[in-house]
Amino acid sequence: MSVIVTLEKKPLIKFDVQKCAFCKICELSCSKYHYGRYADSLARITVVRKSPLMLRCHICTRCEKRFCIAACPKNALSYRGGNIVVDEKFCDSCGICVKACPFHGIRLHPETKMPLICDLCDGDPSCIKACPKSALSLVLLPEARK
Amino acid sequence: MVKYSGYKGRILRVNLTNKKTTTLDFTDEFAKKYLGGNGFAARYIWDMVDPRMAAYDPTNVVAMMTGPFQGINIPTAGKYYMATKSPLTNGYFDSVSGGYIGAQIKYAGYDGLLITGKAEKPTYIFIEDSKVEFKPAEKMWGKLTGETQEMIKEEIGDPNLCVSAIGPAGENLVRYACVITEYRAAGRGGVGAVMGSKNLKAVAVRGSGSNQVADPAKFEEWLDWYSVEAKKIPSLVAGLPIYGTPVLVASINNMFGAMGTRNHQTEVFEGWEGISGETLKRVYWSKDTACPACPIACSKVFTVKDGKWKGAISEGPEYETIYAFGSMCGISDSGALIKTDSLCDEWGIDTITYGVTLSFLMECYQKGLINKDNTDGAEFKFGNDDVLVGFVEKTAKRQGIGNLMAEGSLRASKVIGSDSERFAIQVKGLEIPGHSARALRGMALGYATATRGGSHHDPRPTGEYAGVSDRKAVEGKAAWVIGTQQMTTIGDSLVQCHFLERLLGFTLTQKFVDMINPVTGFGYNLQELVDVAERILDLERSFNVMAGIRRKNDTLPKRFLEEPIPDGPSKGMNTDEATLSRMLDEFYGIKGWDKTTGIPTKDKLVKMGLEDVALALEKL
Repeated sequence: MSVIVTLEKKPLIKFDVQKCAFCKICELSCSKYHYGRYADSLARITVVRKSPLMLRCHICTRCEKRFCIAACPKNALSYRGGNIVVDEKFCDSCGICVKACPFHGIRLHPETKMPLICDLCDGDPSCIKACPKSALSLVLLPEARK
Repeated sequence: MVKYSGYKGRILRVNLTNKKTTTLDFTDEFAKKYLGGNGFAARYIWDMVDPRMAAYDPTNVVAMMTGPFQGINIPTAGKYYMATKSPLTNGYFDSVSGGYIGAQIKYAGYDGLLITGKAEKPTYIFIEDSKVEFKPAEKMWGKLTGETQEMIKEEIGDPNLCVSAIGPAGENLVRYACVITEYRAAGRGGVGAVMGSKNLKAVAVRGSGSNQVADPAKFEEWLDWYSVEAKKIPSLVAGLPIYGTPVLVASINNMFGAMGTRNHQTEVFEGWEGISGETLKRVYWSKDTACPACPIACSKVFTVKDGKWKGAISEGPEYETIYAFGSMCGISDSGALIKTDSLCDEWGIDTITYGVTLSFLMECYQKGLINKDNTDGAEFKFGNDDVLVGFVEKTAKRQGIGNLMAEGSLRASKVIGSDSERFAIQVKGLEIPGHSARALRGMALGYATATRGGSHHDPRPTGEYAGVSDRKAVEGKAAWVIGTQQMTTIGDSLVQCHFLERLLGFTLTQKFVDMINPVTGFGYNLQELVDVAERILDLERSFNVMAGIRRKNDTLPKRFLEEPIPDGPSKGMNTDEATLSRMLDEFYGIKGWDKTTGIPTKDKLVKMGLEDVALALEKL
């Protein structure tokens, strides 16, 4: 599956709270895809369980407001091709973007301290492929907003 | 650092008495010899704990271990392993639970924790990579497990933090207090009580590291093999994912007539339908959940939507709990089971021992050995769900008859007297779960010889249900039981669930070797893996021997030895004293244990590379 991303149609990884079984395979597959090893601290998607039935998925939603870009004091973040892109030359790892994101979609790499933001794995997200419960799916905005 | 993958090569030792921590490095040879989880803990506990000491002595150790499989994407290994000297059995005891904390221990840079000493005041331990903090837990003392986890997550400021906590039952030294992580329990044998005796309320771990496999290409191949082959196993595609373990109720009750009912006065429960997997799915199911990294998702959240227990919600009950609360106590309303399951998790009590101890007391009440004067005025009648629900809190607080219930069925029978021990359904003090020792010959010998006593995760019943081993046969049963005990020991050392047994084998097979080698790089052959299992089992047995366990303790409740199942599909079945004795002879013979005493022989221990253990046993 590959996705052609235009400025009009923004991609979104949709989370089905009823289907999700909280196995966290999405997190492991994410770190495996990007770094070749298994670690939730390297994952750009995180699932949190609040109560027996309440789960939350933390991931970049490509929101309209782009809180992270607006908050970055170094102008190191930009929106390109449907993704928030980090320019590591400018980023000084201040972590302001992490706090600015209301969706908890950003964390810092534990070693390099660079922001980790979902990049859709070149259009074929590994988390979606790995999810045994089909709780994740890729949709294109604005369709998803309808 | 060890050269094998899946390990950090380092154990964190925590002394609560002086709040000191040290790390303990192990060698390549140690990793290969003991594998992880169960093997590591058995070795360290042998080295550190005097088996003759009381379980609540501060020198006792609580081990929290991982194996090579934690924190990687391998099915059914999202677990952690706990071990200690048990206050219930007085022997070596381990309990495995689902939970992400195993992976976090690995990510923090350790293969496990060894916790010893006793804190002066209620404490919890927070581990973040190399940083270890002893934090005051006075405000969490007395709190339920769910609230405790939330308070710690809040205090640390991380909603995703992994916390393993005890409830009030652990604090009050209920002999079968459990440890809860999220909504899953390291349930059996009182690991939670030992934590309580150390004033240790919880352990919280966060790690920023990672885990890797030795041969990624081979490992991918194995994952591909798994995803194809697992689809051919009905229990892995239909039974467990759809119904969870409650799926067993219908077949065990109706096909095998092997579901202990009213304290094993019979093994067919007429009210089975109300507590069956099908009913739970249709009426109560709300959601599937999984242990980390497991695609099966056999855990179910059940909600009671109306009736007497409306509003109760729980992850579970699992099959064993349904047996202990349901058929054993004569209760066929799943609502009461769901309510009690959630209460046991919150107060921190093992559901199997709680239910079986209650059913024992219900039979004492039925026989007039106890009456309302002893039971705080409550009607301890079979089928009374108010007692089932109401006495969880009293047990956790040791109030009234709860103080007796907190001791488990064996100790309760000694207080009640009148030969009630004959129907206390336990082996070595541990209550027997829902796999019949009378209808399954292998479980008779398996429970009798298990390190832990009445545990269904030492021997396994599945192969006999599947018909791979004839459940009535006596010939060849000793070898079968040894095989299943070896399989579970390797599973507990990898810290992987035993539910892959229908795929990988009921006893150790080349398929286990093919799974382990790409991850670790050990290059084991099958015989080497069998030797690892035998080494660990001999070590556990030696610990128990030092604690006083002998052949005479390898037995079953009198009821099972003397009263055949009275009705149903397994009518007339049991294993009597003479048959058990014959199987024991064969069992010890194959194991290389002395037939009169049940002590591992020097030859066997030396062959397993346990010379120091042989020396210690010689001095007995």
